[in-house]
Amino acid sequence: MGTGREASVSLDGVRDKNVMQLKKLNTVLFPVRYNDKYYADAIASGEFTKLGSSSLLGECDFDSDRIALIGKRCIFVSSAYYSDICVGAIACRLEKKEGGAMRVYIMTLGVLAPYRGIGIGSKLLNHVLDICTKQNISEIYLHVQTNNEDAIKFYKKFGFEITDTIQDYYINIEPRDCYVVTKSFAQSEASK
Amino acid sequence: MGASLPPKEANLFKLIVKSYETKQYKKGLKAADAILKKFPSHGETLSMKGLTLNCMDRKTEAYELVRLGVKNDIKSHVCWHVFGLLYRSDREYREAIKCYRNALRIDPENLEILRDLSLLQAQMRDLSGFVETRQQLLTLKPNHRMNWIGFAVSQHLNSNASKAVEILEAFEGTLEDDYPPENELCEHTEMILYKVSLLEEIGAFDKALEELHKKEPKIVDKLSYKELEVSLLSKLGRPAEADKLYRVLLSMNPDNYRYYEGLQKCFGLYSESGQYSSDKIEKLNALYQSLSEQYTRSSAVKRIPLDFLQDESFKEAVAKYIKPLLTKGVPSLFSDLSSLYDHPRKPDILEQVVVEMEHSIRTTGSYPGSDVKEPPSTLLWTLFFLAQHYDKRGQYDVALGKIDEAIAHTPTVIDLYSVKSRIMKHAGDLTAAAALADEARCMDLADRYINSECVKRMLQADQVTLAEKTAVLFTKEGDQINNLHDMQCMWYDLASGDSYFRQGDLGRALKRFLAVEKHYTDISEDQFDFHSYCLRKMTLRSYVDMLKFQDRLHSFPYFHKAAIRAIRCYLKLHDSPKSTAEEDGMSKMAPAQKKKMKKQKKAEERAKKEAESKSEESTASGVSKSGKKNVKPVDPDPHGQKLIQVEEPMAEASKYLRLLQKHSPNSLETHLVSFEVNMRKQKFLLAFQAVKQMLKLDAENPDSHRSLIKFFLKTESTSAPTTEAEKLRWSVLEAERPSISQLQNKSLVEVNEDFLGRHKDSLVHRAAYAEMLYLLDPSKKTEAIKIIEDSTSKVVQTNGAQIEWKLKDCIAVHKLLDTVLLDSEAASRWKSRCAEYFPCSTYFEGKRSSVMPDSVYNSSRKSNENGDTPNHPMGQTELGDGQVMDKSKHSRASPSQPEEAPF
Repeated sequence: MGTGREASVSLDGVRDKNVMQLKKLNTVLFPVRYNDKYYADAIASGEFTKLGSSSLLGECDFDSDRIALIGKRCIFVSSAYYSDICVGAIACRLEKKEGGAMRVYIMTLGVLAPYRGIGIGSKLLNHVLDICTKQNISEIYLHVQTNNEDAIKFYKKFGFEITDTIQDYYINIEPRDCYVVTKSFAQSEASK
Repeated sequence: MGASLPPKEANLFKLIVKSYETKQYKKGLKAADAILKKFPSHGETLSMKGLTLNCMDRKTEAYELVRLGVKNDIKSHVCWHVFGLLYRSDREYREAIKCYRNALRIDPENLEILRDLSLLQAQMRDLSGFVETRQQLLTLKPNHRMNWIGFAVSQHLNSNASKAVEILEAFEGTLEDDYPPENELCEHTEMILYKVSLLEEIGAFDKALEELHKKEPKIVDKLSYKELEVSLLSKLGRPAEADKLYRVLLSMNPDNYRYYEGLQKCFGLYSESGQYSSDKIEKLNALYQSLSEQYTRSSAVKRIPLDFLQDESFKEAVAKYIKPLLTKGVPSLFSDLSSLYDHPRKPDILEQVVVEMEHSIRTTGSYPGSDVKEPPSTLLWTLFFLAQHYDKRGQYDVALGKIDEAIAHTPTVIDLYSVKSRIMKHAGDLTAAAALADEARCMDLADRYINSECVKRMLQADQVTLAEKTAVLFTKEGDQINNLHDMQCMWYDLASGDSYFRQGDLGRALKRFLAVEKHYTDISEDQFDFHSYCLRKMTLRSYVDMLKFQDRLHSFPYFHKAAIRAIRCYLKLHDSPKSTAEEDGMSKMAPAQKKKMKKQKKAEERAKKEAESKSEESTASGVSKSGKKNVKPVDPDPHGQKLIQVEEPMAEASKYLRLLQKHSPNSLETHLVSFEVNMRKQKFLLAFQAVKQMLKLDAENPDSHRSLIKFFLKTESTSAPTTEAEKLRWSVLEAERPSISQLQNKSLVEVNEDFLGRHKDSLVHRAAYAEMLYLLDPSKKTEAIKIIEDSTSKVVQTNGAQIEWKLKDCIAVHKLLDTVLLDSEAASRWKSRCAEYFPCSTYFEGKRSSVMPDSVYNSSRKSNENGDTPNHPMGQTELGDGQVMDKSKHSRASPSQPEEAPF
């Protein structure tokens, strides 16, 4: 699509030393200001990804012992670097379903406007999907505003499906309804 | 040693010496006391006891005992040697040399003392003495390599390089053929290279080259070998061989500018000024064309032609140079090219080229004339470059527009904020600059450079406390500001001193400036260890280089700046006697500030008391922990209060002035402060000298003009000479006056008019004229003010050049109107005029500066979380091309999604 030149895209975790870059990104991308706790958790998860990773890309190891390390909330943030510029990020939360299975909720996925359309979002999402398959996550899901067709198309490309509709999910934007978009993973090797 | 003692005590004495050498001071002390019990006045024991105590931080006792020792046994070389060591430990080298000389008078062949003496002589640059001592050492012990080398080096330093060569040759004569052994190859290499460089220094290039070739098999440092060889070949006028060798060197390191310079010289294509005829430019271009094909990975080979190419060919080359770097995203591109801005036409060409690129990328996504799509970041780096370009050219509005657009494009690039901060600083809004630098700092807390840059901006905005807190983030824990001092952080001392100076806190300002001077003394001290180390390790070329560097140490910019500023502090102290200085400062302040000041003062006093009690404690504990040096002495004068109590500030100033005159004689500022100091000291001949130097360096400088007028006004107005000295002075001035071309039978008023005539278009010169007009005749005040107010910016001169007003000059003019010409109305008229002209200036309260209540950087306004501009043009609504998807769901307030995950 976009570019005629090669530029490297790499992924990395978030640390206390560069969390401000994530803040800048979110300020531009999303209409909500996250509180400090969100970022503190993001940093904790950055440490966590570092703990479990051997490569620079922050291959994540969702070992259940390590989840315990960072307490109840497990947020996992990965930033995308386009020739060393931080241009996008994906933030997920790990949740425990009734019955003990684990699922992942995508909180945010965003890429700066000038850098869209060159596969960075896909790379971020694929990264998370990879982790999910490796770690026996049962499903991954998110909320999408019902009129956001581009988003729905994007997620469908990755095997997501609309599984539910929640009325009046949003209070100050129209339309107020949202879809729950979910992808389930094959549970063949789920029982460890 | 200890010869006069009976055997048992003689053994004890040996024990003291041994304990001293092995740092077992307590043991040594015990032994000394045992001897003194029987022989209480034994001089050598007393001396050794003193020396031992010196190492246990008991200085006063040490000096007493050592002095007593010498007194009791004045014929003992041991006592004198110990006395010398004691002085040496306190860096009193001159005194130490005297003691060593006394010791040698008694025992002329004592190797240890001779060696120690030679080190001191090298340190103090007593070069003839150094040669003498080194010769004596060689005569006494000719079988030591180090003594030969030491003698040779001493001759070299004493400007007798050919003698040094002879000595080295004589030494080589003593060596076996199979020398050196395997483990001394490096040392031997260094010696050979040193010898060759000596031959080069005395101009014996043939012999040097011959020697180099002859010894080639024994030289292990092949790079230095080649560099020396090529330098000799060039000097011998053998360009063909030099050319070949330079290319070999370039294939080893194609980014070494010196190789390129040498290569140009081989072809007769080098000029110191960088100016070349068009014929030569063509040849140079051809040379670099062929080189760039050979060394494809070199960036130097691409960058150098930009310096000599002109007009069209420059335009083409610079575009070709810039493109790949913008695509790649090289933040340092602008500083790489900034030297081109000294050229009269190149900045315009650069602007044209990069603006074209910007336009093309915006419209087509590619560079002009290309259909290769650029990555999205290219536009960002192009804007980034342009912002710096317009900043350099003083077009701050345009620069800010570009940088803001870049930030909107990609808000996560730290360099953007740093550059915006710099633009704000240049535009005159220091508060905003500090806030932006802090924003950049927050984006990477692990980057010391960004942190330091932020600290500097804070100091420039006079936010000293905040700056200290920020600086401390990168110092060792627990030892904050002291640590900055230990790291010899001179930019910090200077910036912080400047800030205190602006705020009228002369004590702390002086403290900082003198700290810089202290650092230079320390650096000079640091060479001491190398006198013996380098001889042993044979790193002779570097050693001699280091000594030469040390000799011009005080001409370095940081020292120059600190000394000038310290002298300005002393001038201020002199002009406002201390009793009133403080009250003066107080009365000028607003009441709220006064209160703050008082509070601060109280806190300081408390801190001072604490510090005092602590220091008492520490000295007490220092004694108990005998021998261990872990207690840092607490600074008894942390705020420089004692420094501003000096009786004669001008005497203090003269100390630093002498260093400046010796080491920075080509700086106008040196002579300007010399003029100011000597006028105050009524040393008119010295002041006259300063005026003459200034006229010599830059006769048209406004400060030179001011000094000239002030000087003759002062000397002519003093009454007829009465004393002998005055008469002498008067006759010298009479004799010298005709030598000043500006004066030539003219009155000072006429001189002043001439000056204005020569510089009608320049604001600073008009201001100097006006100031002198008023000084010569106070009734001409209105006329003086009119001259200033009639100035206009951007006057196009006959040669086509434009003089634009600079912010700092306009501020100086405002101060002149306000405090010298004492016309507050004119000052405020000037201020509002400048506020238009410099809308970002906080000093003039420009409309877009941070003093305005609606500015995002106004401190009274609570800035939002990120210090971000609230109405960011980007971000909110850029949905739609499929990547930002789930953004809107975060505005939900859905109770069905508890913030805490369920596990």
